[in-house]
Amino acid sequence: MAQNMFLRMHNVSKTFPGVKALKNIDLEVEYGEIHALIGENGAGKSTLIKILSGVYQPDEGAEIIIDGVVQKTITPLDSLKRGIAVIYQDFSLFPNLSVAENIAMVSRVEKRKKIVNWRETNQIARSALAKLGLKIPLSKTLSELSVAKQQLVAIARALVNDAKLIVMDEPTSALSRGEVESLFSIIRNLKEQGISILFISHKLDELFAISDRFSILRDGKYVGTFGEDELDDDRLISLMVGRKIEYKIFEKRTLVDPIFEVRNLSKAGNFKDISFTLHRGEILGITGLVGAGRSELAQAIFGLNPSDSGELILEGKRLQVNAPEQAVQHGISYIPENRLTEGLILKKTMSDNICLTVLKQISSRHGLIEKEAQNKLVEKWIEEMHIRPNIPNMIASKLSGGNQQRVVLSKWLATDPKVLIVDEPTNGIDIGAKADIHQLLRDLSEQGMSIIVISSELPEILAIGDRVLVMRRGKIAAILDGKNLTQEEIMKEAL
Amino acid sequence: MNNIFSQIKRSKEMGILAILVVISIIISAFNSSFLTFGNLLDVVKSNIVLGIMSMGMLLVLLTGGIDVSIASVISAVTVIIGRFMVDYSSNIFLIFLVGVVAGSLMGLINGLLIAKLKIPPIVATLGTMSVIFGLVLYLTNGNWITGIPQNFIDFGRVTIGQFPVAGSDRIQGIPIQFLFLLFAIALTWFILKYTMIGRGIYAIGGNRDSAERIGMNSENITLFIYTYEGFLIGLAGVVHTSIMRQVDPNAFIGFEIQVIAAVVLGGASVLGGYGSVSGTIIGVSLFCIINNGLILMHIPTFWQKIVVGVVLITSISFDVIQKRMHDKKNIRVDIDESESSFKRLSVVQKSTSQA
Repeated sequence: MAQNMFLRMHNVSKTFPGVKALKNIDLEVEYGEIHALIGENGAGKSTLIKILSGVYQPDEGAEIIIDGVVQKTITPLDSLKRGIAVIYQDFSLFPNLSVAENIAMVSRVEKRKKIVNWRETNQIARSALAKLGLKIPLSKTLSELSVAKQQLVAIARALVNDAKLIVMDEPTSALSRGEVESLFSIIRNLKEQGISILFISHKLDELFAISDRFSILRDGKYVGTFGEDELDDDRLISLMVGRKIEYKIFEKRTLVDPIFEVRNLSKAGNFKDISFTLHRGEILGITGLVGAGRSELAQAIFGLNPSDSGELILEGKRLQVNAPEQAVQHGISYIPENRLTEGLILKKTMSDNICLTVLKQISSRHGLIEKEAQNKLVEKWIEEMHIRPNIPNMIASKLSGGNQQRVVLSKWLATDPKVLIVDEPTNGIDIGAKADIHQLLRDLSEQGMSIIVISSELPEILAIGDRVLVMRRGKIAAILDGKNLTQEEIMKEAL
Repeated sequence: MNNIFSQIKRSKEMGILAILVVISIIISAFNSSFLTFGNLLDVVKSNIVLGIMSMGMLLVLLTGGIDVSIASVISAVTVIIGRFMVDYSSNIFLIFLVGVVAGSLMGLINGLLIAKLKIPPIVATLGTMSVIFGLVLYLTNGNWITGIPQNFIDFGRVTIGQFPVAGSDRIQGIPIQFLFLLFAIALTWFILKYTMIGRGIYAIGGNRDSAERIGMNSENITLFIYTYEGFLIGLAGVVHTSIMRQVDPNAFIGFEIQVIAAVVLGGASVLGGYGSVSGTIIGVSLFCIINNGLILMHIPTFWQKIVVGVVLITSISFDVIQKRMHDKKNIRVDIDESESSFKRLSVVQKSTSQA
């Protein structure tokens, strides 16, 4: 068995300051195998790929054997020379250069050329495209090609370098059905030439259509490798989900007083036909895979990325929202990703931070800040949010993490939103601080605020969402009742 | 040949060329002396310096950089070679050597600031511009340098060929300075088309991350660009002095805008990645003809400044808007449009292919 393996990774771990991203991963890829690597957002797939491509170095104790050679360390150049080619989602191509040049560029750099031989460039490109059985005009500028064709150029480029393992990161995410089919036939063709493919995708239907074996990661750990015949959708999902994170699960409420309605919201290339209702005092969780259109939707509601069609109705009134200022005026606030953890000016006082969003309210007619109004406002928020110590002139960096978050939240709440949208509010912070934020959001909802929480982390959505809206490829897949909801049920809709 | 033609046809260059023709027709309708050999020769001669410097600026813009110090650099070069030939030696070869070495060194300083210290090009070159202009004023007190050696003046008067000038008895030849413009164009074209540094310049302008990922050394390329630009400015400084036969340390104040405008007009993108030697030649020609046309039409000179600004802003806006429309076209989320199941389809295909 071992001789058939092009790649063997054993006991691969990766620790970043404070986070263990990968724990003892095993991965084996045979020659001429199409191998699927799957896992939820944040399961560690990209970290693993970056180790394979030499961008990250693994922790001590990892064993990596490529093509029968034990690799003590891997640099990006080693990885290339041993025949590993990673095609990133952005393809790493040059939009302003010709097809031929894009294909030949890597080998030119590798051979340390000084002078360009255009005939050779064209020959290299022609033979690489021939291997794929493709006809793309060599002199065409890359940016004039469709995304699907650009991807094929990226694959052709990998072949020039004698790739034996091609890693494809979400290769089908921007392709139409027909284009996916032709990509798959090319992949099968490569397989017949003995080239292995490591295929990363979230689309189960496609994975089952193309893959020989599946390796599953969950939460930075290796779950196992399975043959195609050992798995079906349900089994696969149950292996993928089930991150064991203990959050306090808040009691789910059934709320009946609608306050905000989104009707048939669409934006080309972002999302389509989104309709839902938000109730007073409700927390609606929105989840879905990265790239499902969640943040785009939130930004459309907030006017950052206005929609093409559809309506927003707040308290019975139709809203015109083409810019964030309008959204704020109507009572909609949006806290983008990481703002709850990074949204402070650390060197300024708590008081200055809280006032940032409402400078107009506390200014005189001439545009100067009135100290008294500022103090009043800040005292109110310290009181309401229980910020401790209650010293307005305390420098923000000296506050504890939890209190810093209260300050950030106060800053946004000072705009007096009726609807608050928070995007990935707990991304990258420790569990204690996450629980604090959950409690804060819950408290706000108890006071009657309606909150939309966008999160990739299913346990978080399950902990605080009264209802859960699942997005899938730009559309609503389902709106689920938060009572007794499980990760599997959500994931089934998301995939 | 066919290939070259089809390449030009669908490019920006063709559009600019069309504008060039239209404007030429308009100007000659107003003033019949525009389309005469004598006038065109004058236009070329008075814009040789602009042409040489535009080649350097093209390289800088291609990587997404910019250089606003070029006017100060050429002022410094002219002052240095002016003093050199007045005080030390009138050897033509040495004068050229001193000019290009001085220009290259100043370019290298810009390059080091940008490549090694990672200072944004606009800030780095603004800084060097101020320093160099300050030094030039300190050294000259703003006074002209005169008394240029006779052999250098003679060198500047050399012409090639003899062409009768229509409507007069004069006979004119092509000035020797024109050869230096051709040299700068040919060298830049060769570098961009046939050297890895040249292709690296395009690659970095197109996608810097990708270029570095495949092992291109963007630092060295940046150093090369600014040094080469300095080299061309050094050349331009000597050429300029050979035409003017004296050195005015203030002659070039504000000249950077003209060079940048001419190159941008030729289709080079300030966002990097796009631009060509042929486009730049057309752009510079168009720019010069507009300026010349304004003079021939007796339009007050302050209008020239206004026109330069308008040209610059319009071409850049065009560029930026085009990029924005292109970005908009790029789909961010793959919307599930068809409800038909892909799975069944491809599974069927797979089982049939296995059977």
